[in-house]
Amino acid sequence: MSGGTLNYDALKKAIVEFEADKVKNIVNKMLAANSGPEEIMGKGLIPGMKEVGRLFSEKVYFVPEVLLASEAFYAGFDIVGPLIKKKSRPGKGKVVIGVVQGDIHDIGKNIVKVMLEASGYEVIDLGKDVPTGRFISAVREEKPEILALSSLMTTTMMNMEEVIKILKEKNLRDDIRVIVGGAPVNEEFARKIGADGYGEDAFSALKLVEKFCVR
Amino acid sequence: MSDKISEVLQNQRHQAVFPIVGVDHCSWLLKYDFAEVVHDGEKIARVLEYGYRLYDYDMVLVFLDPYVEAEAMGCELEFKPYPRIKAQSKGSGCTNRTKEIIKAARILKHNVQVPVFVSIKGPFSLASFLAGTEDFLKILLTGEREVLKYLEKALEFQISYLNRLLKLDVHIFIGDPMASASVISPNLFRKFAFEPLGLLIKNINRAGLIAGLHICGETLPLIPILDELKADILSIEDIKPKAKTLKMGGVSTTTILSGSVEKIKNEVKDALKEDRLILATSCDVPAETNPDNLKTMIKTARGLSV
Repeated sequence: MSGGTLNYDALKKAIVEFEADKVKNIVNKMLAANSGPEEIMGKGLIPGMKEVGRLFSEKVYFVPEVLLASEAFYAGFDIVGPLIKKKSRPGKGKVVIGVVQGDIHDIGKNIVKVMLEASGYEVIDLGKDVPTGRFISAVREEKPEILALSSLMTTTMMNMEEVIKILKEKNLRDDIRVIVGGAPVNEEFARKIGADGYGEDAFSALKLVEKFCVR
Repeated sequence: MSDKISEVLQNQRHQAVFPIVGVDHCSWLLKYDFAEVVHDGEKIARVLEYGYRLYDYDMVLVFLDPYVEAEAMGCELEFKPYPRIKAQSKGSGCTNRTKEIIKAARILKHNVQVPVFVSIKGPFSLASFLAGTEDFLKILLTGEREVLKYLEKALEFQISYLNRLLKLDVHIFIGDPMASASVISPNLFRKFAFEPLGLLIKNINRAGLIAGLHICGETLPLIPILDELKADILSIEDIKPKAKTLKMGGVSTTTILSGSVEKIKNEVKDALKEDRLILATSCDVPAETNPDNLKTMIKTARGLSV
């Protein structure tokens, strides 16, 4: 099997149609036929997730569809990702991401993560229910361009402000851009707590990262 | 007894006011430990009565946290720093707080002069808590039979719980956050969330009580379907779209948490351009909300100077 146009279309289609096993098979066959991992990523996996993003923006796809498509994407990404990393090519930028303390709703954060990885960003995922101090140490150690904070609950959204406040106290705020998102959050709230941007959904979060990560 | 909610429903009044205040904000006001309060019916009633007397709004809602029923059905919760599901199955024994809610509702019925509502979960959201939300969302597209099993279990529990509540003569607010169009498509709503919600609403209406329905996030594409459910009140984030059902909302939760006095006043005034409305926050108010912001909202709605 060669890595021809037709097969990249098949790979893209398998992501859009949530066929994780098919994605895995196609990727393995492409690698066996000497297709480069970057090419598989750039011509098959990324366009697949971009199409999913388009369908989500147009309200054709909703969260269940995006979750299943993400699984299909990772079935391929988990194979080619390590091969790309081995060549240690510089990424487009580094993002530290996590759901703030007290909040365990991480579906939105996971979708943002997949969109960022699919677009070539290095993502340090701190997970959910992340204590403020953990965000601070990750910013200090990883030196990301972006810190992405998520909260789904009105009870936990103020913890985003706490993270930004401590970043300022530790003189780390000027080195990074902070973006926020989640159901109860809006543009005004983001401005009020001193964030640099608000992502209404995973795909606008990606656009923000692209805007802030110009190298 | 003042029942402005029924008066709005019966077209005898334009507006009533209720910022969605639950046990967490009222516990915070009194510096009570939330985790302790939600396990004690008398304390639940005490904090909610305090909130009602402080703010003088037009209804009281017995709302603890979203996981009361999931916990009673076997999920393990933790309450600190915030209530959440720790594990889908506790293994042994269930903590059933529904009896504390019933106790609180009974006390409040006696002590307050406005209608008392009790919050219950929509079967779709309850089923998602039982299955684990991410897994549940995936099986909506891949495992219909499994989804139906969870829904059946959730509905069976809710009908029995609802019947106990209706005997108290309290009104009901059904919250179904996972059925929002921010999460699932209108098609999936129609397929899985619609019928169980409809059954609960019919039971409430049959008892001659008020059925409210709260859906968070995006609801615009759902409004025609929500209207078909024939709830009495529809509590939604964006009240601008037209709906046949009486709407509830108008003030963003973010505004009430961190907006200026002017911003709160403007949102109230904008919302009151609706013919009839239960003026409310778009979701439950966060615990640490400044009481002055809530007072501003209520006073502005009542036409009093702030």
